[in-house]
Amino acid sequence: MIKRLVLLFLALSPFLAYAATGCDLNDPDRDVKRLFPTSTGYKTSYASIQKSGGKATLAAVEKALGDKFGGLYETIDAPYTIYTIYKGNSVIGYVHGVNQKGAYGGLQVFLALDTKGKITGFYYQKLSSKNAAKFKAAAFANQFTGLSLADFATLDIKTGKGTGKAALIKNPSTATDKDFLNTLRGVKKNLVLMNVFIYNK
Amino acid sequence: MPTISGIAYKNLRRKRIRSILTILGIALSTWVLVSLLGFNRGYENSLNKDIDNLGFQVLLTAKGCPYEAATLMLQGGQGLRYMPENTVDSLRADKEVEELTPMLMQTVFDPGKGEEGGVVGYLGIDPATYPKMKPYLTFREGKWFSGENSMEAVMGFESAELEQREVGDQILIPGKNVEVTVVGILNRSGTQDDGTIFMPYKSLQKIFGVQDKLTSVGIKLKKTANINAYEEKLYTIPDVQVVSIAQVKNTISNLVSTARVMVMSIAIIAILIAMVGVMNTILMSVWERFQEIGIMKSMGATTSHIFRLIWLETTILCLFGGIIGSLLSVVLAKATGALIRYILPYSPTGSLIRIDAPLVLESMGIILFIGLLSGIYPSLRAARIKPIEAIRSSEGEL
Repeated sequence: MIKRLVLLFLALSPFLAYAATGCDLNDPDRDVKRLFPTSTGYKTSYASIQKSGGKATLAAVEKALGDKFGGLYETIDAPYTIYTIYKGNSVIGYVHGVNQKGAYGGLQVFLALDTKGKITGFYYQKLSSKNAAKFKAAAFANQFTGLSLADFATLDIKTGKGTGKAALIKNPSTATDKDFLNTLRGVKKNLVLMNVFIYNK
Repeated sequence: MPTISGIAYKNLRRKRIRSILTILGIALSTWVLVSLLGFNRGYENSLNKDIDNLGFQVLLTAKGCPYEAATLMLQGGQGLRYMPENTVDSLRADKEVEELTPMLMQTVFDPGKGEEGGVVGYLGIDPATYPKMKPYLTFREGKWFSGENSMEAVMGFESAELEQREVGDQILIPGKNVEVTVVGILNRSGTQDDGTIFMPYKSLQKIFGVQDKLTSVGIKLKKTANINAYEEKLYTIPDVQVVSIAQVKNTISNLVSTARVMVMSIAIIAILIAMVGVMNTILMSVWERFQEIGIMKSMGATTSHIFRLIWLETTILCLFGGIIGSLLSVVLAKATGALIRYILPYSPTGSLIRIDAPLVLESMGIILFIGLLSGIYPSLRAARIKPIEAIRSSEGEL
């Protein structure tokens, strides 16, 4: 009976996923191990802008991002799932994903971060694009490794221009492909939120 | 010369408190009767409306074709089977069919969904018939497609939320590289439709190269149709399977029948209470006026006069009681409905109590008839009083 219920749940999961408003890893055990091969465990916690200061925090997040929150996912009470990664009893990093509006559908932009806020891994959990292969290529993902919020501070997410290292990230697709800028916005939003929820707590 | 009606009216006024209490008793019985009959109608009507809102009662699919999301996902989006589009024409010819709507389910593997990719489903529908079948689907923004061949999509609430789509945005059909414009986003309905991406079925036929093919047909039957019998008839079509809500409808029908029996039982009890009340009041009045009636008879009143007098008094009481009770039921219909809704474990949407003029007149007729019936015995007793007995009975009092 339990097996049947589990099977039914798994079968429904692509549809049940619609019911969730947060951004969770599809397979946390597998994904955490892949992003942090030396990890021995992880803890899941949930945060929201509402619970982290409300409107004042939202204003600060929008200012740091350089854009207003909008759409169905960018609400003040949207829950964010943070995976705290352990090696033994020590925290070695975090995994955090955000939803970002893309050209043809929602993007789910996940970052693996060390304890100082530096990106150690970047990947799309979900991406609808004609050039998905280019965006998902390691050559593009690796450009984010080693960057932190400070590198994105001056990045204009509407133009992709700025003075930090983030401005040097190369578009893997055509110049007209909006998903490059959408990705930069997703990454910056991810870093700004992690700064609020974890690093600047 | 006083008329019988004048005397009857005066008699009732003489015992004002008792008359008022009797009228009140009849009024309460009428209120209960009208409300119960109104509930009987409203409840059945609301349940029928709820059944209508379920959409089609019968789903005809190609044999072996998954017809709902869970099965489709279990099969990894594979295993779709088709039936020819002209099946719709032969189904439409059946007199028991009220409406039908063709559907085409298509799935595609999206490598961008998750680590290993995932299946995305599209439901092709007919914009002319499908919305009518699903009246509970309302728009958060936008509207249905502009045409049956348009490259447009309407998204269920959850799918729009997941894909972060708004009206005017594009979606991409993976593998086909076809761009589709979102023209509508539905409100949350709490059904499987929330996670569905709708497109015109003719457009899907073109995109996926399955011209003149359907995966299912939704069929709404006329209210008088026998779903079970129709289901059997459908099985004569080769290579199809039938999914129906006959069981749901049967359960609801049983619920209605049970409610009807209960309501009618309570109504009969209310009528009996009114009947006994009226009979008791009039009988008391007759016994109290025993000598008076005897004197009336000795002064020339006939048996018929006395019978008519007492019967008329009954009629007046029932008429006033009936009018007041009917007014009460109309005025308190909403409150009664709310009370029933609070008590019932499941109550359908819409008005639970439906009171209209024919129902009020019908109930008034019943109350009057019952009143007249219960007035016969006291009137007969009064008519049979002998003047000499009445006068003799007063001797002891003098």
